[in-house]
Amino acid sequence: MQENIKIICIGCPLGCEITLTIGQKGKVEDMWGNSCKEGKAYALEEYQNPARILTSTVRTKNCSRPLLPVKTTKPVLKTELMQCISALARIRVSPPIKIGEVVLDNFLETGVDVIATDNL
Amino acid sequence: MNLQGMDIDVAVIGAGPAGMAAAIKAREKGAENVLIIERDTRLGGLLHQCIHNGFGLLYFGENLTGPEYSHRFTEKLLDTGARALLETMVLRISGEKEITAVNRRDGLFTIKPKSIVLAMGCRERSRGNINLHGTRPAGVLTAGTAQRLVNIEGFLPGKKIVILGTGDIGMIMARRLTLEGAEVKAAVEILPYAGGLIRNEVQCLHDFKIPVFLQHTVTKIYGEKRVRAVDIAALDANNNPIPETKRTIECDTLLLSVGLIPENELSTAAGIKLDPVTGGAVVNEARQTNVEGIFAGGNVLHVHDLVDNVSWESEIAGEYAARFAGGKKPPAGQITLKAGRNIRYVLPQIISGKNNVDLYLRVREPQKKVIIKMGGIQVGKTIPGVKPSSMIKLDLSAEDQQKFKRNEIVIDCLTKGD
Ligand SMILES: Cc1cc2nc3c(=O)[nH]c(=O)nc-3n(C[C@H](O)[C@H](O)[C@H](O)COP(=O)(O)OP(=O)(O)OC[C@H]3O[C@@H](n4cnc5c(N)ncnc54)[C@H](O)[C@@H]3O)c2cc1C
Ligand code: SF4
Repeated sequence: MQENIKIICIGCPLGCEITLTIGQKGKVEDMWGNSCKEGKAYALEEYQNPARILTSTVRTKNCSRPLLPVKTTKPVLKTELMQCISALARIRVSPPIKIGEVVLDNFLETGVDVIATDNL
Repeated sequence: MNLQGMDIDVAVIGAGPAGMAAAIKAREKGAENVLIIERDTRLGGLLHQCIHNGFGLLYFGENLTGPEYSHRFTEKLLDTGARALLETMVLRISGEKEITAVNRRDGLFTIKPKSIVLAMGCRERSRGNINLHGTRPAGVLTAGTAQRLVNIEGFLPGKKIVILGTGDIGMIMARRLTLEGAEVKAAVEILPYAGGLIRNEVQCLHDFKIPVFLQHTVTKIYGEKRVRAVDIAALDANNNPIPETKRTIECDTLLLSVGLIPENELSTAAGIKLDPVTGGAVVNEARQTNVEGIFAGGNVLHVHDLVDNVSWESEIAGEYAARFAGGKKPPAGQITLKAGRNIRYVLPQIISGKNNVDLYLRVREPQKKVIIKMGGIQVGKTIPGVKPSSMIKLDLSAEDQQKFKRNEIVIDCLTKGD
């Protein structure tokens, strides 16, 4: 059983549509559509490990600004983004907070922290 | 500080990334008294509401969020000893470089700096700028307004959202609203391709399986007090809606992400000549406008794709503003650059022919394997692909410019081999 999946490369404005042929046990057997080798590396990573840095906000208390912007220190698997958002929705932070300070540590035991991206 | 009659070398209007970069550079290049004037309560401009990442990849080689990118510059700005005047609105600039401004502490006052950098940024096109039929209920807002509501003020503008336009802010809001629990029912784009950066198309629309309707538009809005639904339809070759393709989408919010316009009311009143295509001033390589001693940088000059380019460009304006304040005039422009095949605009519009310059270009349509020719001579290497949403930065050496035979040089974007 083989399956083709398509990945759009974000490496440059050309946006090549790269097709990967996936064989048994999810092995990449073929790839075409990329115009350069950066595209190849990108498509492999995007297939094997689709993860994103998550940026969001958390609510504040005792502060005139209702929100503090935050981000994850490392990419989070796409499938875990929503869980991360729910975890953030439960948090309240109060000033003072320094940019870079951890507001949620080791999210879902993944080794990923959520840090402040602004002073509060 | 007593502002009236204060001795100022360089005054910068607007403290977004453009204004901060210009003020820092002006200080570094020896301007003694640099004053930056900002109407908001904080330095940073629009970066505060841009909480997503993707900033600084070129400038810092790091993937920063908007607030982080801003923070780097605010720290540096304060270190350089430039002075910032917050919650102060500039009302008028005269052709003689006299600035009239107002704030609560000082009231109405005027200052006369030796040079000025315009860095007022841009604003979004709103419903008034485009043609939308139907009722005028609540729930129609620009993507940038929604961004401020969600990211700064902390509430969701609606639950069921349709976005008209796939500019970067629109795509970024599609992701943000989805993460915050809203349902984005459609992203509707008039063009046959998404309007913003590829990275946003993939990570904001595809990642969240947001239905995208290309070559479509919103033809009607329903609802009395609040938006209830919109009609969308496919467009024919002449961009007219095809009635048979009409469908109604239930929603409570319509976000408009249909383009940005440089904020130039102040500039026009100062007698500054604008470029009808960019909506910003016509400038030379020093980023000086036709009014001597008034410079401009960032989105007030042309709408940029990346904030990194905003910073670089404004540093040029800041540097030459500092020199001007010190009595040195920028190189006089002699060569006018004109947009040719598949070029929408080029900036700066005027160059002296004597210095290395970075040109910023935008194309009209996507094109593959392109070479750029100036006055028939190829400049730079072959570029794999270009898109209207991504600016092209081109290094033009003084040597290249020696080859130009005329005072008017046409720039063409050609397919290699043609
Ligand atoms: C809603 C919106 C969202 C955006 N999101 C992104 C994004 O996600 N990523 C991205 O790369 N780019 C984004 N952009 C583009 C963004 O504007 C630029 O990247 C960058 O912020 C431009 O910098 P700037 O300094 O030119 O303008 P701005 O950041 O807009 O700064 C201009 C400053 O001038 C001040 N000002 C204006 N007029 C006056 C006056 N008369 N008196 C005193 N002060 C004045 C304003 O208050 C503001 O602080 C966005 C633009 C908009 C409109
Ligand atoms: S494969 Fe290469 S040419 Fe194609 S989009 Fe990616 S980086 Fe650009």
